[in-house]
Amino acid sequence: MTALLRASGLTKRYGGLLACNDFALAVMPGSLHALIGPNGAGKSTAIGLLAGEIAADAGDITFDGNDITQVAIPARVKRGLTRSFQITSVLPQFTALENVAIVAQIRAGHSFCFWRDARDDRRLTDPARAMLDRVGLGPRAAILAADLAHGEQRQLELAMALMTGARMLLLDEPMAGLGQSESQDMTALLAALKGRVTILLVEHDMDAVAALADRVSVMVSGRVIAEGSFADMQSDPAVREAYLGEAG
Amino acid sequence: MVEAIRRRLVIASTALLMLALPLVADRLAMPDLVALGTQVAIYAVAAVGLDLLIGYTGLSSFGHAGFFGLGGYVVGILAFHAADGSLFLGVVPGATAAWIAWPAAILISALAALAIGALSLRTSGVSFIMITLAFAQMLFYLFVSIKTYGGDDGLGFRRRNALPWINPRDDVAFYYVCLAVLALVLAACHRLVRSRFGIVLLGIKQNERRMAAIGLDGGRYKLAVFTLAGAIAGLAGALQANLLRFVSPDMLHWTMSGDFMVMVVLGGVGTLVGPVFGAAAMVLLQSWLTQWTEHWMIVMGPVLVAVILLTRRGIWGALAGRR
Repeated sequence: MTALLRASGLTKRYGGLLACNDFALAVMPGSLHALIGPNGAGKSTAIGLLAGEIAADAGDITFDGNDITQVAIPARVKRGLTRSFQITSVLPQFTALENVAIVAQIRAGHSFCFWRDARDDRRLTDPARAMLDRVGLGPRAAILAADLAHGEQRQLELAMALMTGARMLLLDEPMAGLGQSESQDMTALLAALKGRVTILLVEHDMDAVAALADRVSVMVSGRVIAEGSFADMQSDPAVREAYLGEAG
Repeated sequence: MVEAIRRRLVIASTALLMLALPLVADRLAMPDLVALGTQVAIYAVAAVGLDLLIGYTGLSSFGHAGFFGLGGYVVGILAFHAADGSLFLGVVPGATAAWIAWPAAILISALAALAIGALSLRTSGVSFIMITLAFAQMLFYLFVSIKTYGGDDGLGFRRRNALPWINPRDDVAFYYVCLAVLALVLAACHRLVRSRFGIVLLGIKQNERRMAAIGLDGGRYKLAVFTLAGAIAGLAGALQANLLRFVSPDMLHWTMSGDFMVMVVLGGVGTLVGPVFGAAAMVLLQSWLTQWTEHWMIVMGPVLVAVILLTRRGIWGALAGRR
């Protein structure tokens, strides 16, 4: 089986700092692949490179067999590769439903329609409602995103990413800032998605990684130093020294 | 629900007042009121267009007067060539008919906005404010330097553009023309901001990075709305030229861009009807205060500060409630 997303030799330098250094990764279709590592390892830079927000100094990215290294973000999304953000970024002045409906609208094609009211267009709101139900936000559809609880905003963020029709999600710390029960809810949500959508998960919550990941890559100082099952990584001496050791 | 009724009441009574203004002016024997009302309607057209940028897309354009003045000069230059039968650039004949001059003003302003927007929109934030300001000032100095069209002194012409069934010398009729244009622009923008296009603009305003991450190429939409706002400003400029039968570089000066911004902020950013109240407040305050002192900004400044500090959405927010 060939990888859905493959990165090789990805390098990004910020002045004297090598945020990504010969970064290589292969994510198999249908898998949930976790990318872990200590703070400052370059995980968010790696996500930025894969999503197309950051231009790489060197290296290639292929998605579904096609070279996408030079492809702009919106075009990557159309091909089925979508990211979420570490810092919650929903559209605060829109309701939960509007947040997801706008994604449905963009997916439906261009938005150069100037006359018809889009807010009660059932072609947009029906799929958006179904998606909110799917992530457990159905009853909160009419609430402004700014007024949602933090955990709900993270769920909404996931709903937006899914609504793009993504075949693969790049999730940058979906559990960040969540309480224990909220984290468990999010873990359950991701477990339900697993297998249907390929996921690259950057996460610090080791319980979640242990519960979810098919495969784990450990990133230290801008490169992947080890890869395998979660159990393999726990026993890998290099990983223990670099990461799990200090995490306890 | 109560707020919706209150909003409609405010809009209905304002519309009624504006419709009845010529009668009121007649009764009070204050014919100047009609000219003031016309000026309010014209500025309001441009300010509503600017609100599409500032209030709905988050683009603080500081060059709106450039397109306003350009629209005015199109009317002025066409009238100039029509008067002496000469050709613009040796090719284009002059025109006095509104159905030629006004669409020409809209088209030229839209093209200028398309070109300026294509360059300016590569930047954002303060750089965008500065680069739009710079482009408008370039247009200002261009018209200052063209002596054929009066340079510094501006360019006057004898008659308003001819409209079917309407006497161009009738100030009240022209007031109603401007009012109708304002109503049309407001209605079209009201639809626009609720359409798919408008929803995308609001999304860009809230988080452009997020919009890219869900697959939107925001640049095309920003350029489209910038061009549209420029076209609306051009239309307002064409009306302004007709009101005064005179155009001058003052129309393009950066202080005019500042005035448009003040109208939007004073009236209520992101409300569309707010800028109409902003334009009214600006024109009326200026007109009354200049009877007392030429330094009318001494009063206008504190009023602006007070409105911004004390209301959530400008005059419109104070009149019609929160949202």
